[in-house]
Formats: sequence, structure tokens, C-alpha cells
Amino acid sequence: MADQLYLENIDEFVTDQNKIVTYKWLSYTLGVHVNQAKQMLYDYVERKRKENSGAQLHVTYLVSGSLIQNGHSCHKVAVVREDKLEAVKSKLAVTASIHVYSIQKAMLKDSGPLFNTDYDILKSNLQNCSKFSAIQCAAAVPRAPAESSSSEKFEQSDLQVSSETQANNELTTNGHSPPTSKQILQQPKGIMGMFASKAASKTQEANKETKTEAKEVSSAGNKAPGKGNVMNNFFGKAAMNKLKVNLDSEQAVKEEKIVEQPPVSVTEPKLAAPTGLKKPGKKAEPVKMQQKEKKRGKRMELSDDETKETESMKKKRRRIKLPESDSSEDEVIPDSPGDYEAESPSPPPPASPPPEPVPKTEPEPPVKVKLYWDGCLSMCLTSQGPETMLNRPLLYSPGTPVDGSFLIPLSVGTTGWTFPLLTCGESSAIGHISGRLQRSGLGVVLFFMTSSIRAAVLPNSCWNFAK
Amino acid sequence: MFSEQAAQRAHTLLSPPSASNATFARVPVSTYTNSSQPFRLGERSFSRQYAHIYATRLIQMRPFLVSRAKQHWGAGVQIKKLCELQPGEKCCVVGTLFKAMPLQPSILREISEEHNLLPQPPRSKYIHPDDELVLEDELQRIKLEGTIDVCKLVTGTVLAVLGSVRDTGKFLVEDHCFAELAPQEPAPCLDTDRFVLLVSGLGLGGGGGESLLGTQLLVDVVTGQLGDEGEQCSAAHVSRVILAGNLLSHNTQSRDSINKAKYLTKKTQAASVEAVKMLDEILLQLSASVPVDVMPGEFDPTNYTLPQQPLHPCMFPLATAYSTLQLVTNPYQATIDGVRFLGTSGQNVSDIFRYSSMEDHLEILEWTLRIRHISPTAPDTLGCYPFYKTDPFIFPECPHVYFCGNTPSFGSKIFRGPEDQRVLLVAVPDFSSTQTACLVNLRSLACQPISFSGFGAEEEDLGGLGLDP
Repeated sequence: MADQLYLENIDEFVTDQNKIVTYKWLSYTLGVHVNQAKQMLYDYVERKRKENSGAQLHVTYLVSGSLIQNGHSCHKVAVVREDKLEAVKSKLAVTASIHVYSIQKAMLKDSGPLFNTDYDILKSNLQNCSKFSAIQCAAAVPRAPAESSSSEKFEQSDLQVSSETQANNELTTNGHSPPTSKQILQQPKGIMGMFASKAASKTQEANKETKTEAKEVSSAGNKAPGKGNVMNNFFGKAAMNKLKVNLDSEQAVKEEKIVEQPPVSVTEPKLAAPTGLKKPGKKAEPVKMQQKEKKRGKRMELSDDETKETESMKKKRRRIKLPESDSSEDEVIPDSPGDYEAESPSPPPPASPPPEPVPKTEPEPPVKVKLYWDGCLSMCLTSQGPETMLNRPLLYSPGTPVDGSFLIPLSVGTTGWTFPLLTCGESSAIGHISGRLQRSGLGVVLFFMTSSIRAAVLPNSCWNFAK
Repeated sequence: MFSEQAAQRAHTLLSPPSASNATFARVPVSTYTNSSQPFRLGERSFSRQYAHIYATRLIQMRPFLVSRAKQHWGAGVQIKKLCELQPGEKCCVVGTLFKAMPLQPSILREISEEHNLLPQPPRSKYIHPDDELVLEDELQRIKLEGTIDVCKLVTGTVLAVLGSVRDTGKFLVEDHCFAELAPQEPAPCLDTDRFVLLVSGLGLGGGGGESLLGTQLLVDVVTGQLGDEGEQCSAAHVSRVILAGNLLSHNTQSRDSINKAKYLTKKTQAASVEAVKMLDEILLQLSASVPVDVMPGEFDPTNYTLPQQPLHPCMFPLATAYSTLQLVTNPYQATIDGVRFLGTSGQNVSDIFRYSSMEDHLEILEWTLRIRHISPTAPDTLGCYPFYKTDPFIFPECPHVYFCGNTPSFGSKIFRGPEDQRVLLVAVPDFSSTQTACLVNLRSLACQPISFSGFGAEEEDLGGLGLDP
């Protein structure tokens, strides 16, 4: 009979498989209500004992009831072995329930295995753990997946929610419901991000036709206002064209204002946009000297602003100091300018001379080159002015702030000038080429990745830079 | 009580299987409001000093104390500020207490080289007969002496003292009073028994397996798996479960990995990871059947300072699928079926225990209710967020049920206030050591402990059950 099937099942579990059969385990295994499972167990025990009084069967019971302890009535729930059952029952003032907890072949020393059995069967039935229970809760409705994924929002959202719920049975609003989106900053991912920001800076560079150029330069870094923009700016040649076309310095300025920190140390070849640079000439001076430049002319005013902006932006940017991960850069960066152009997605250095005629600035000694770079680079910089020759080693002070500060090369050699490795958050490296530079044909070059030097900018400049 | 109600139904389980088995519906939540808004912190800024919280505490409590002083000592009592005191003149002053304790761990003393002190080992109580009380108000401070129990009081309490200034410059106290209980709304009248289960100190990840069976039995009783029909029917009347802190055990907090070299700890997982997974499963079982409120405690992965913010739902991927799970702040305040609950995970009470001579946690709980402040020792010896606008730990109104978790033993008491307020105080014991939880009956405002046990090898006849022969 179907009814007797469960008896055989239990028999098999206990005797043959030597399992510990708890009521919960039986309930899940046979798919029956917990109370029915308890009754089944009881029935089995009774019958088995009737048939064969010497049967090897050990039973544990659950007893619960109230007990007067320390002056108050305490509700006790206990799992007891069969032999202690009567004793415990007698102690209780009121017995609320007794039922079979488990049946097993061997005598249990302690209740540990009971827990393990229940735990195991529960693990495999987590999703419907209250299916066979005697209590069903109407309010316990699993959330729809869409809701629940969005509910992984931080409970800041609870601020609105937690206040009231005059919900009758409606518990859904309490808790983590309103998904507040995690504010994940747009982080352009990895290399793309780097490129993106660089591209953005390039755009800016291009835009600096005029005074704002200085600003652009300073902001060079990642001022990608958004990924979209960045992506647009992304491509080298395309960007350059765009740059050339787009003389909207205002826009550039705005872009500058947005500082975005590139995520990683992957550096990018930056292009020195040889647009008219404000920095009239380069100065072999430490960054601080840039202040002086401010005093010069109109452009200088701009650079003034720019510098200030830079300063403030620097402050922002400096928060993220990218580690000098040379190795990663090495992987990424191709070796030769040619390769580089081919490989690097970023705008290839405008080997093509930037045609913009840059208005000449007042002649100046300074070989100030504003560089922006990111990651660790060596830069190749070309010098300026007829008087100060390429070969003049410029003193460099390490720790020069990045982003638009003046960088002075460590050494000048036949293959170019080497700058110390620097880390920076900005990705655009733009050199300023001042009018003077133009005139003298010097350009500024920028950066790139790692120790190989590349890029150069500048038309008619007699620069030489690195391989 | 729960047991009596449970025993009313006939026992049906020691019999062959019956044709149908009863299923009970969980009592629906009629009203629930979470009023823990003051304990939620939005943007946090730690640039402020802690003096502001004391200032606002005094400003907020002053009116209560003035009215209490007038009630106690007559309407004509002079209430003065410290700067206005005249020697020999009897008056009343309202201020914040500061207890100068030589044994109080002081970081400055520890690191001061001139003392060359070794760090003090942690003690259970830091009180000392030489402790001194100082009363501070907005501008000045004055030492107190006289009929005032120095051992019992702790820093941060706002009170009113009646006495006069001596020539020595100390204030001789004749009497003092606290703000006493805040006004209370009347408790609702419920027609059926409804229970709220309070549990604290589950202590998962603690390594010891004994309490795991107890936890499982607890979950089974609440979800209606365990017990006979009567008990299951009563369990269906449990309308809410509040887990009051310390869900993880103290052992999950081991900091060994901080001191070891990275290469040694690279592949090891924090002990709390496993514990949180287990907790997630338990919460899943509970929330599939009953609304649950989870409060963080001292050892739980959330911020350390009070008010502790709710645990993050990302830690409970299985359980958060159910909207019945609610993660709440550490001092937690809510109105459940019209009954106002307020409780903490016990850090406030255990901190006062360390700095006061009071021994019983329930007594301390009552005392905090009387001074109208949940945790006066914050921020002095208990970490706290630097509030400056308001002090959220002052009782705006008197709750009906006031509990604190993780006490060494169960305690419950009805406390009556001067304006007929009636509060049920519950000291929820630490489950991992006592296997006891509390069932609060919302209709009668009574509390019954419920304890669980298994059996062990070394047990005497009934010793393990705590039943005395």
C-alpha cells in the first residue's frame, strides 16, 4: 500500500543505509508536511518495536514546555534521548509538545550529528525551505529578480524608505528596496580609458589655438567630460583633424575643468600638439618658474589662469598618483614611433607637422615646456631657441609636479632628451610650443610611454628626439 | 504565555500519520513603522570635535531637568548656572557629569614616554575609590562632593544637583535628580496574542558547535517546523524576529592577518566570510517565514562607532531576496503593531558596566531609561559619531519595550515611571552561551525566555537542560 511505502522507505534509510533520519530530513526527502514526517517516524518506531523488540533502533524526541526557573516561567525546547524522555517530561510544568525528532541505528553520544543531518538536507533545499513547514507567511514573497538586483543598493536609499510604512502586510518597502544606484564614477576601463582621457586632452591641445591653449595644456590630463566625449576624441588622426578644426578654446577650457583620473598606469603616447603655445619658449627651470611666465604678455595671462587652474586641478589630480608600473607600460608601448603609430590607438603623434601657425611670443629664455604626461615616461623634449641649444643640459629637479608644469629634461643626448619618470594623472601631454619655438623650429615633444622616447611634435623644428 | 497557549491543543504527533496536517498562517503585520531615522547617517564627516555633542546634549536636556528639579524640590528652587553661583547659597545646577577615573585607559598616558607605562590590561571594571565627579556646564566645571554616589554614575550623564558651593570651591551636593522618563503614548490594546522574538549573540563562526543546534532549533520553532500543532500555532503568532547584534562571534574578528606578512596570509580567508555565509542561510530560513530585523553588534561587519549602520545587503545574497528581511541600525527604534520598541545591541550597557559599580545589566538598562539617554558614555569611552546638531541618543519619548542585547543572562522587568509610563525592560542574553531567546508578548507586555538544548555525552541526567533535580 502506498501508506506502507513510507515505512519501507524509513526502514531502508535507517537499517540499510545507516542514516540518521530526522523528521526534517524525512520531510524533504519524501516531500511531506513536517508533522506528517514526525508521525511517520513515530509509526515506524511503534511497528518496528512491536515486530521485533530487540530491534536496534535509537530514538530521540523533542520535548517542549514550560518550566519554572528562577521565579519566571521559561519555555524550554529540548532534544532528548529516549531514555531521558520521561525524566524531562516530569520536570516540565506544562508540556506543549512531544514528538519524535530522529531515528537512527546507533546510539548518539551527542546531538552534533543531528544538526549535521538537518544542515545537509537544508543546504540542498534552500530555496524552498519553508515548503513543508506548518507556518506559511503571506508576506514572505521573494522579490522579482530585477528588483532584487537593484536592491543591492546601499541603504542610503533607506533614508527615504525607512520612515514609514503604514503597510499592512506590506513589508516590501522596508528594507532595501529603493535601489540607489551605486555611484560608480565613470572609469574608462583600463587602457581604453587611458586613451580616452588622452584623447580628450589632445582635443584640448588642438584647441589651443589661442590663449586658451595654455589652459588646455594644463588641463591636459583627463578632462574627458564623459566617456562619450572621450571616445570621440579618441583617435589620433581623427582627433587631430578635429583639433585643428575646432578652434573653440572656450570649450576646451570647459573641458579642462573636468578632471578625470585615468585608472591605471598605462601610459599613452601623447601628442604634442604643436599649436601655438603660450609658453613662450622653454625654460630650464623648475616648475616654480612657471610662475614667472605668467608675467609675460597676454599669453602669459592666460597661462596664468591656466596655471592656477592647473594648480587647482593639480591638486585634484594629485590625489591619484599612479604607480610607476614600468613593466606594464613596456608591454603596451611600442617601440618606435612608427610602430607606435601603428599600434597605439591613441592619436599618433603628429609627425605631420602641426600646421598651425602660432603667433610668436615674446622671446624668452625659458625653455619651458609644459608637459603633461601620464604614467611613467621619459620625455623627449626639444629645446628651443637658437641660443639655448639642444645640447645644453638642463637641470631637472625631480618631483616636479606633473600636469602642465614645466619639466626639465635630465639629460640631453643624441637620441633625445630624457626626462625622469614621472607619474601623473593626466594623460594628455602637450607641449607648448611658443611662437618662439615655432620660429626657431623647435618643438616640444611629448611623451610617451616608458622609457622609449617618442614623439615629437613640431614642424620645422630641429628637434630630434628619440628613436 | 507561549507555553500555555501551545499546550492547549491536543498532542497529535505521537500517532500514526493522519490524513491531513494543519498549516497555520503567520499573523500578518498590522502596522509597522521603522523610526530609526535619527540613527541613519548620511554623509559622514569626522572633521568635527566631540565637544559639540556634549553641548547639544546639555542644551536639549536642560529643559527636562529644570522641570524635574522644580517637581522634586519645589517650584521655588533657584536654578543657576555655575558662573552665577554664590558661596553658601543653596541652589540647583544643571550640568553634565564627568568622572575622573585614574584607572580609565588613557592613550596619552600610555604613549607618554615619561611614564614608561606598559599598556594596561583590560579589566572588567575601571572604577576605583578615588574617582571624582565633576559637573560641567556650558562655561565652567566644579567638583562635586556630598550625597552623591560616585561609583554608580558615569561620565556624560546630564543631571541636576541641589546644594551649595563651599568655600573650598567644591559643590556640596544634598540631592540630585535625573530627567526621568520621557512622556509615553499609551500602549495599544491587542485582541490576540502576538509575539516578538528577541535574540542576540548568535555568535556564528565561533568555532564551537554546541550552539549551532540551538540556533537551528530556534529557527525551527519560529518557522513552524518543530513542535506539535499547538506550538506551531503559537509560533505562527510570532509577528517579528529581532536579531539584536553579535550575529558573528568574537572569534571572527581575529586580527592575526594584519600582523603577518602578506605572503603568509595571501590565500587565507577571513573567518567572518564563512560565518556570514552561515548567517545568510539562517536569515534565509527565517525571512522565508517571518519578518526579521537584523541589528549589527560589536563584532559584526559594519562601522564601529555608534550609531552602527545597517549591514550591507550584498552580504546576504540569498536572504535579501525576501522583502521580509530588514537590515536596521544599532540603536533600533520601531513601532510594531502599535507597540514602541527601542533597543541596542548592548554596547551601551556593557560600557556603562565597565565604568560604574552597577552589576546587573538590567539595572543599568533601567538607569539609562531614567537618565533619559541611551548611552551617556559615548563619546567618552564608547565610540560615537561626532554629532553636532542634535544628540540622537536622548529619548524623545518613552518606549513600551526597551531592550539591550548580549547580556550575560536573561532579565526582564516592568518599570513604572512617574507619569504612569509602563516600560518592559528586557535584557536579551547572549545566545551562543545561554541558548536562550526572549519572547515578548505584545498584548500583555510580558516577556518569556525560551531556551533550547540538545544533549551531550558528558551530561548528567538533566544538568544540560538546566533543570534542577
